[in-house]
Amino acid sequence: MQTFMKDRLGWFVSIILFILVLYPLAAVIIQVLLPGVFFGNWQLGDLALLLEIFKRPLWQKSLENSVVLGLGTTVLATILGGVLATIRANWSFPTAKLLDASVWLLIITPSFILAQGWVLFAAGGGIAVNLLGWHWVTSAVFQPAGLIFIMTLSKFPFAYLSVHAAMEWKVDQLSHAARLSGASAFTVWRTIQAPLLMPAVWAGAALVFMDTIGDFGLPASIAAVYRFPTLPYSIYSAIYTSPIRFDMAGVLSFYLVLLIGIAMFVQFYAMRRSRFDFLSARAQRSVPKPAGKFAVLLTTLNLLFLAVVIGIPIGANVLMSIFKTQSGGMKLANLTLEHYRELFHSSSTLLKGLSHSLMIAGVAALLGLLFGLCVAYVLTYSQFKFKRTIEVFSVVTLAVPGVVLGIGYIFVWNQKWLDSIGLLLYGTPWILVLAAIAGAIPVITRLMVGAMAKVPLSLLTAAQLQGGTLASRVRFILVPLIRGALLSAGLAAFGSSVFDLAVNSILFPPNFLTLPVTINKAFEDLDFGYASAATVVGSFIVIMIILAVELMLRRKEANT
Amino acid sequence: MKTNGKRWLGTVLLAGLMALTAACGNGNAGNTNKGAANAGNTQTTAPTEEAQATETAATEDKGTLTVYLNDFDSIIAPLFEEATGYKLEVVAGNGAEIMSRVEAEKGNPHWDVIWLDAMPSIYGLGASGQLLEGWSPNNVANLTDFAKAFVPEKQWYVPTGAHAAGVIVYNKDKVKAEDAPKSWEDFSNAKYKNMIGMADPAIAAPAYPFVSWFFKEKTNDGGQTFFSSLMDNGLRVYPKNPNVVKALAAGEISIAALQESNAYAMKNDNEPIEIIWPAEGAPASVRVAAIQKDTKNPNAAKAFIEFLLDPKTQQALIDQGDESYFQPSVNGVNAKQDRAADAKLVAADASWASENEAAIKQWFADQSVK
Repeated sequence: MQTFMKDRLGWFVSIILFILVLYPLAAVIIQVLLPGVFFGNWQLGDLALLLEIFKRPLWQKSLENSVVLGLGTTVLATILGGVLATIRANWSFPTAKLLDASVWLLIITPSFILAQGWVLFAAGGGIAVNLLGWHWVTSAVFQPAGLIFIMTLSKFPFAYLSVHAAMEWKVDQLSHAARLSGASAFTVWRTIQAPLLMPAVWAGAALVFMDTIGDFGLPASIAAVYRFPTLPYSIYSAIYTSPIRFDMAGVLSFYLVLLIGIAMFVQFYAMRRSRFDFLSARAQRSVPKPAGKFAVLLTTLNLLFLAVVIGIPIGANVLMSIFKTQSGGMKLANLTLEHYRELFHSSSTLLKGLSHSLMIAGVAALLGLLFGLCVAYVLTYSQFKFKRTIEVFSVVTLAVPGVVLGIGYIFVWNQKWLDSIGLLLYGTPWILVLAAIAGAIPVITRLMVGAMAKVPLSLLTAAQLQGGTLASRVRFILVPLIRGALLSAGLAAFGSSVFDLAVNSILFPPNFLTLPVTINKAFEDLDFGYASAATVVGSFIVIMIILAVELMLRRKEANT
Repeated sequence: MKTNGKRWLGTVLLAGLMALTAACGNGNAGNTNKGAANAGNTQTTAPTEEAQATETAATEDKGTLTVYLNDFDSIIAPLFEEATGYKLEVVAGNGAEIMSRVEAEKGNPHWDVIWLDAMPSIYGLGASGQLLEGWSPNNVANLTDFAKAFVPEKQWYVPTGAHAAGVIVYNKDKVKAEDAPKSWEDFSNAKYKNMIGMADPAIAAPAYPFVSWFFKEKTNDGGQTFFSSLMDNGLRVYPKNPNVVKALAAGEISIAALQESNAYAMKNDNEPIEIIWPAEGAPASVRVAAIQKDTKNPNAAKAFIEFLLDPKTQQALIDQGDESYFQPSVNGVNAKQDRAADAKLVAADASWASENEAAIKQWFADQSVK
């Protein structure tokens, strides 16, 4: 009975993942083999298209750029994130909490907004040139090394979180033994501590690589000033160039998925070689030591670092929203609140778009949380045969460009026969909810799995022996224990869905504008003031909602 | 450990394969079966929408008219509702986004009317059988002689106006009037090295009509030679026209082939630029409107086309619209006062431009990354 129950949950999770992620993705790739299949047209595709990537200059360049950007960013961001996490876990200093907050802010803020911020800052006629007179910035940023630098500053949080989480517990007995045997501090770090951290480093690196190589926002924003085609961007142009070539998009997506597959394989291989079941009863929660005389230095460096990673991309948006003209610079005469007034003007579509986006993100966060709980439960406690498969597909949407998933969603949810059973979801807001859930699954499940790993199965088994059902065990034992993680996961999912651009821009129903589409349209029309003001107001409201929910639920948690 | 890994890999592969076959099977078998089952049901019970649409299409509309467009999204619905009483929903996006949606929805279109300044792409929709054929609006009689030439043989679409996809624009502070290029041929002159920019035909809707005119006039080889010489001369290609505006304003470039509304907007913003209409003509981007073949709202759709060919409507677009610099397609409409009186538009034949669209765009995209 018990295995049946667990398998039932396993199958349920598999089916939902299939519908939300695998089927739409497969639909796009099927286009390569059978281009007309979704229009009722059986005809074999041209498989030679698969080899064109080695012939067409644009595709070759895109592949090359993606690999260079992906590898460069992975190396730098993993080092940066690892070093920061090590410092943060070992020493306490003022403003350290700000670093944690910034890391979350960077994960939640969509890359197109970060990238727009960097473009506003660094482009010719941007803030760096106009305000600070730093003419060198433009050429330094808009070249491959510069883009890797920007990417590193946006993606290091994945490595940071992963490594930081791994340092939560430490088992000093091994290090003590080594020191007693005469090893130097460095040898201990090199031969004991570092190897124990390797799985976390690899996991962080893999996340950075996948998120970088699948990132569409940065190349899209950068393309406005500098030509740097990447795979997601070429997929975008294949889908958005008349005559539309979904088969080409399918081929390019195939290579993207292949690259991600390689990254995952490397990660699993590396992790298999490291033993990480070292936690024992003697494990202690690691507490950062006071930094002492280095506190001032660490605080200063931290603030400088935050001024760059948060100050530039977010600050550029804020500045732009109060400038009359971009070229006017920081003069009193050039400051205005006009753009904010425009937002609340009667003809403005912003508030409507914002309310739509908040609604969709809210529903998606709640449903996604329920589903994420199921996925994590299966991954953590069940013996389900296809556990590994579920694990892989629960992170795929992190890497697949939203436009690809969006097109897949149209194929899947716009078939005539669905109308007869009331499931023709394309053209309704529900499709945005589904897509938002798909986008939020990786973050939710990663956080849930991390939290559940700390709750031993024995607690649940004990309750089961007393006759508790699966639902009651989850409700009365598991959920209270991981409440904090549930809250974080739900809020992270909410925050990231509000601004999710790529999926929105292809799926929004008639007369149903959403916030990211409104913002992007303004950016495209070079209405920077309006776009920045909309970004600032939108982010402010989202952050307020997140804080309010935190305050309400966390306090309740403390009281109970 | 090793066997575990293999088993895992096998699982993924197996699941993937199963998914693929399942997906293929679903796609079609599902489609036809359900369709047939429904058709059978409708005989005895309530008719489905589809059955009704074919029976009563001529008399009744089944929903709200949905128009896919790339400009005028904020003003067109109220104007249309006021003029005809029909409700109107718009899906706005850039030309590429709209065409992509139309293509993805091919099996089950959600649009009734498409209205874009991308005549070759819409011609392509007509040629692949997605547009209503052989219906001609009464107001076609209003068309100017220039516009009449764009109506296709099978009356797939009507032109509602044309604008210059590119006029010559130069920065007065950087280039003296006597040194400025006067014709498109001047763009390859070495004295303008690294000074010129234009929009990307793969992404900006009006940029393909611009490029295709050269390819048609000079033939394919001549077109390639011409644009290669521009690229060798340091031509910069930006995704869209607003990006070209930005580059001009920031001083990254000092000369551009720029879409006319963008050019006049810059001038009206007191940017130091001057506009030149070349004597050989500015390649035109023609905005056309077409009805979807199986539209469920034929009456409203036809009313919308008539409405677009009404001189009052076109005057309102010029007076209130955001893309207000264009040459109207019907008589009795005044273009913007400050639009050049000698504005000469030229356009490549739509069927030729449509047939060569893929090849020209691919060539262009590949050249510009080299």
